[in-house]
Amino acid sequence: MHFTISRQNLHEGLSAVSASIPSKTTLPVLSNVLFHAGDGGVSMSGTDLDVAVRVRVPAEVETPGTLTAPGRKLQEIVRELPDAPVKVQTRGDQIELRCGRALFKLHGLPAEDFPALPEIDFESGWAAAGSQLLKLIRHTAFAVSTEETRPVLNGVLWELRDGEMRMVATNGHRLARMRIPTGPSLEATTQLIVPPAALQQVQKLFKGDDDIHVSRSGNHLGFRTGGVEVYTRLVEGTYPNYEQVIPRDNDRIAIVDRRPLESAIKRVAAVASDQTHRIRLEFSADRMVFNVLTPDLGEAHDELEVAYDAEPLTIGFNANYLLEVLRYMPTDEVRLAFKAPERAATVEPVRKEGEEEGEEYLCLVMPLRLLD
Amino acid sequence: MRRTIRILPDSVANQIAAGEVVERPASVVKELVENALDAGATRVEISLESGGKRMIRVADDGDGMIREDALLALDRHATSKIASADDLRGVPTFGFRGEALPSIASVSRLAVETRHGSEGVGTRVRVKGGTITGVEDLPRTPGTTVTVESLFFNAPARARFLRTPAVETRAVSELLSPLCLAHPEVRLSLESGGKSLLDLRGGVTLLQRVGELWGAEVRETLLEVEGESGGRRVWGLIQRPDTVRPGFRRTALFVAGRPFREAGILRAVDRGYRTTIPPGHRPWTVLFLEVPPGEVDVNVHPTKAEVRFRDRSGIEALVEESVRRALEGEDSAARLDGGRATGTTGKSGGAPGTGGDAPGDLPAIAAAEGHRAAPTDRPEQKAGVEGGAAGAGRVVRERPGRSVGTGGPRRPAGEAVEDSQMGLFLPADGGREATGPGTTGNPDPAYEDAGQGRDDMDTLPSLARPRLWQIHRAWIMAEVRDGILLIDQHAAHERVLFEQIMARFQGEGGESQRLLFPFTVRLTRAEHDLVMDLAGLLNRAGFEVEGFGGDTVIVHAVPNPHPHFDAEGCFREMVDELTHGSPLVRSARNQHERVAMSYACKAAIKAGQPLELREMQELFDQLFATELPFHDVHGRPTTVRLTRTELERKFGR
Repeated sequence: MHFTISRQNLHEGLSAVSASIPSKTTLPVLSNVLFHAGDGGVSMSGTDLDVAVRVRVPAEVETPGTLTAPGRKLQEIVRELPDAPVKVQTRGDQIELRCGRALFKLHGLPAEDFPALPEIDFESGWAAAGSQLLKLIRHTAFAVSTEETRPVLNGVLWELRDGEMRMVATNGHRLARMRIPTGPSLEATTQLIVPPAALQQVQKLFKGDDDIHVSRSGNHLGFRTGGVEVYTRLVEGTYPNYEQVIPRDNDRIAIVDRRPLESAIKRVAAVASDQTHRIRLEFSADRMVFNVLTPDLGEAHDELEVAYDAEPLTIGFNANYLLEVLRYMPTDEVRLAFKAPERAATVEPVRKEGEEEGEEYLCLVMPLRLLD
Repeated sequence: MRRTIRILPDSVANQIAAGEVVERPASVVKELVENALDAGATRVEISLESGGKRMIRVADDGDGMIREDALLALDRHATSKIASADDLRGVPTFGFRGEALPSIASVSRLAVETRHGSEGVGTRVRVKGGTITGVEDLPRTPGTTVTVESLFFNAPARARFLRTPAVETRAVSELLSPLCLAHPEVRLSLESGGKSLLDLRGGVTLLQRVGELWGAEVRETLLEVEGESGGRRVWGLIQRPDTVRPGFRRTALFVAGRPFREAGILRAVDRGYRTTIPPGHRPWTVLFLEVPPGEVDVNVHPTKAEVRFRDRSGIEALVEESVRRALEGEDSAARLDGGRATGTTGKSGGAPGTGGDAPGDLPAIAAAEGHRAAPTDRPEQKAGVEGGAAGAGRVVRERPGRSVGTGGPRRPAGEAVEDSQMGLFLPADGGREATGPGTTGNPDPAYEDAGQGRDDMDTLPSLARPRLWQIHRAWIMAEVRDGILLIDQHAAHERVLFEQIMARFQGEGGESQRLLFPFTVRLTRAEHDLVMDLAGLLNRAGFEVEGFGGDTVIVHAVPNPHPHFDAEGCFREMVDELTHGSPLVRSARNQHERVAMSYACKAAIKAGQPLELREMQELFDQLFATELPFHDVHGRPTTVRLTRTELERKFGR
């Protein structure tokens, strides 16, 4: 393998790929980047076995070929190279970089050792507007489960219906769902359960004005824009029927200013147990009262004026769940709706006239049952 | 008609009394040594011949007696120790009944040689079968020597019951040992047939005395106990829980310095140990009780082996409470070295994290195997261990077309030669770089001021805010002022959860997380009935359970003991354990404890669970806020301590 590449292209390629290289691994080849020099360019790939990223950049290829080389070392070197063409050449399992008077030789590993990336045909897929896909990811991916007891909940559900895209994520204690009334026209509803790590790469590598091509092949999903590709395995299994658990009859409604609410929760939660983050909320006529009592630590009390005219209600929550949900609410006011202290509460944005319409966003938080 | 009731002559009466007091040489030795100790001896020498059957001699350097007293002492009920029945309450001395010497004298050939400090010359009194045969002057130092020969020469029936000299000798040393414990200040020696069996230094502490008697290694396993309430006092030594073993048990109980036997007090000791030692383990115990005069009746039994307390349950409560308090301290933690505790064949040494009976403990073993696996032969195992991302292990197995692990990893050239950078200045903080591979995340900046250098170490508070590292995803290492604590994350969390749930059962508030997707569990009939019976307790523990038709139950809400909690797995394991029993739940005293123990064991953070620094800090803080931080609920240690002294010794400092 022998090619010449601009320092700029090499650096951009390595930066994109290096995010997918695991920092700790017992499989040495995974800390390497796979180079593949071919027609008119070079591709660089990195993977942690969950998610793979491949980037193609232009280069003058003299001899096509492949090799893997340590990703982080290369990135550190290339970052500090002068802006001049870089000559890359293999000598056996070594990779050699020449740039001006600088010369580097690094030990690589044979390309055969590198895990094969899935074969995905992007012609058969669909396209999604970058801005919409990124918005869905931003508003839902935070809610996935990090526990391995129910693998399907470790992924984000991406649902494509005719003219509508949805994403849903939950850990069984709280749930986020967003619907966008545009999307590719697919004939049948498609459900994909995507690992959040892949969606993070999508967020990092793609921009809002990109048109992102998506395609599925068997159990794998690929995203592509320009020369950047992200691959991931899909989570297998059936996603639970989330629509069924979203309450429709929550009739005790509070309209609350989001920032003061966040701030109040944060300050009372400072006194809450670090394990359960338990806070107690009491709603009564136009008032919301916060109480925290943690044995061995102390107690906190606070109040907010809110719009509430239903029956008084006392309900417990994990403060972290509420804060996560509030952080992604796009409006200044939010609508909290309850039915009873042991039933799911919903949080939704309250849109003002003229604000962006179209998407529908709902979060749901299961309460903590308080035993006193 | 002839009179049938007669007053017995003294000699016969004494022989009868001797039957109660003098059974065998050991009881003679005990009586004589008690007399010596009562006389304020600092040195007591005992010699036996033929197990005491031929000869017993007890020599002391105590007060001695003037001649009249020596003669009187041989009279029954003559005693210097009490003057009237009122004095019987609160007797400060061993002997008081005044029967010992005459009783012994009535069944042997006895000689008392004594000199009181106030007299210039000593006295020798010879008695044969209770009859004084001679009184003469004797030059000697102050003190008393009693020589008993031909024991039971005039009571052949009794003599026939004596055992071999070896057995009698052993009986002597056994009876002697409580006296030795009660008087560590006195030098005591025992020889038999010219052979020294015991030679205890005087003026030592109780702990040293125990070491001399029971072996130096036992000394390393003991903890001090102390407690006081309402004028009653208890103090002594008990075994550190990690060193307690089943089987043979040594105990010694004293009240007002007098040895006694009392199963109730020992049961109170055992109750104090509850959950810190496995069921059936028997802690060695030395306890001294002091009670106000009038609270104890020691005159229940001629050999004073039994006593009667006016308020026995109060005394037992004090003992239980004092033992428990001793087990709260850092000293009760298992030691890395020293004592029979750890490392070798001891069950508790290897137990933490790996030897548990919870299936969840298995990841520790799996992880350890993963670390040992050669890099190329089991790639999926390794990825499973190392892959931080969820489901990494599954990915590897399922990924088609994978071509990994064919070529062995190569050592990058140059790594073999390690050059080290010479520093311009010596680092001020020797320990800073040692944050090791086990560190998850950077040390919290809050600890920066905790001091790294040796000199600063002494200013570290003992247990406050130590630096923590996770080791092999099973243990937490904490740097504390006087060394290192190794904490078993699972055992520690068990202790925390157990006390938390017990507090909830006693009415303290708690909470449980309602589930978006309640889970159903199919149970056997027996399991179903048990769950329904326990529904109230399970509810307080955080599991909101409801019948779901047939033998199925539905769980709507679950406790939230830690962020990695598998509620469904925990619930199933608990139901299984509570229905079918286990050594753990059998050790519980009641249903509350049974549920709390089972919950603690199944819900606690498992070995193999990576913990963030914040999580380790919280676990550490919670553990040391519990009542018994050094012991889990199985009776295993949560914590093993390596002191700086030990470390320094290991490095030859």
